[in-house]
Amino acid sequence: MKKALVILFVFAALGSVWGQESPYFVTYDHHLEEPGNLEIEVYTTSGIPRSGQVGYVAPYMEIEYGVTGRWTSELYLEGQGTVGDSAVFTGWRLENRFRPLKREHWINPVLYLEYERTSEASRIQKEIVGGGPDVSSPNSDLQATKNHELEMKLILSGTTHDWNIAGNFITEKNLSESEGFEFGYAFGVARPLASLASGNACRFCRENFLAGIEVYGGLGSTEDGFSPHNTVHYVAPVVSWQVSDNGSLRFSPSFALTHEGSPVLFRFGYSYEVRGFGSKLAQFFGGRR
Amino acid sequence: MRRRLLGGVLFIAMASALGAQNTSYHQDPNWLPPRDAASRMNPLAQKPEAGAGGEKLFRRNCVECHGQDGSGLAKKNSADLLLPEVQSQSDGTLFWKLTNGNTDRGMPSFSRLPELQRWQLVLYVRTLQAAQGSARKDPAK
Repeated sequence: MKKALVILFVFAALGSVWGQESPYFVTYDHHLEEPGNLEIEVYTTSGIPRSGQVGYVAPYMEIEYGVTGRWTSELYLEGQGTVGDSAVFTGWRLENRFRPLKREHWINPVLYLEYERTSEASRIQKEIVGGGPDVSSPNSDLQATKNHELEMKLILSGTTHDWNIAGNFITEKNLSESEGFEFGYAFGVARPLASLASGNACRFCRENFLAGIEVYGGLGSTEDGFSPHNTVHYVAPVVSWQVSDNGSLRFSPSFALTHEGSPVLFRFGYSYEVRGFGSKLAQFFGGRR
Repeated sequence: MRRRLLGGVLFIAMASALGAQNTSYHQDPNWLPPRDAASRMNPLAQKPEAGAGGEKLFRRNCVECHGQDGSGLAKKNSADLLLPEVQSQSDGTLFWKLTNGNTDRGMPSFSRLPELQRWQLVLYVRTLQAAQGSARKDPAK
């Protein structure tokens, strides 16, 4: 285990890349991971409680790899800790994003397919479908229900005058229970604070910051007849800061537009990109890539 | 003795530089921009000072595959940006190639960079040719 960690840090030290990461937490844009690059991301979603609810922190880790220029694969590991209750591992997700078109267009579609094995205690709220997560029941009850779920998204995204505009249409099917299909959405706009790169090395230059806003929520399910009742919707300013050549920080406070779920979510994230991870790994094991 | 040693070091340095350079690079004949994209002018062409920012972007985004001097890396099969077949392309063509990438041949899209930053990169790629030219004229440099 120690050896694996050492290898990982050596790779991280050897190869680094600077690239402006999208500031979104929920919305996906059309930019995929560069082929052979590995990105390690750690995030938390913290829920501020209403009266009668309790606060929670839901950390998750994302390992993203660019399989090809048009296929990115990601593994998520997630957990959750609730004030006055317990801390639990809530499951994992494996997602794949495919970009069918080779070139840049006004609107660039990306197809997203995810399998998740999570419990009802999951509160990372990476996306919201149906009525959103249960934030009132105790973890012991929620952990007892494990779900196999299949999630699909149609991602449409484009960039105009440095503004990225992205929309995601989400559908999720719980394969363990007959809940019908659940639906959700996410929309985001964001842009860098400066279009020109300055000539000097700087961390606080405006070009290193991206800011925007995203809106996301649930759209009910086929079982409840797409009823808007009990659905959760959030509006969230987002900001990201390129703190180093290979790392970026993100922050977003999300404000609920409805009376369901947590009234405010605070999201933090840090991502670290390792360039040429695939070829370095192949070389390490004696390959010729 | 010292002169011989110096000569040996220079020879090894030149040989390793040649070994790293991608001399076998050939352009993908299918990687061509539409005519209107190829004819676009660089809006920063009259602002050569913006090239400094381009150099910073080049170091961050491009040297991994194209090398510090832009001559390409054989192991990555990346373009030697100093070659006439690259430098003779229009600014608009280079901008289009940066924007769209050629994912099947390992060149990623840099559309996530703001448009002006991509033009800054084009500006800097032009200076590679000039830098190489002056280095050839004055090998002592």
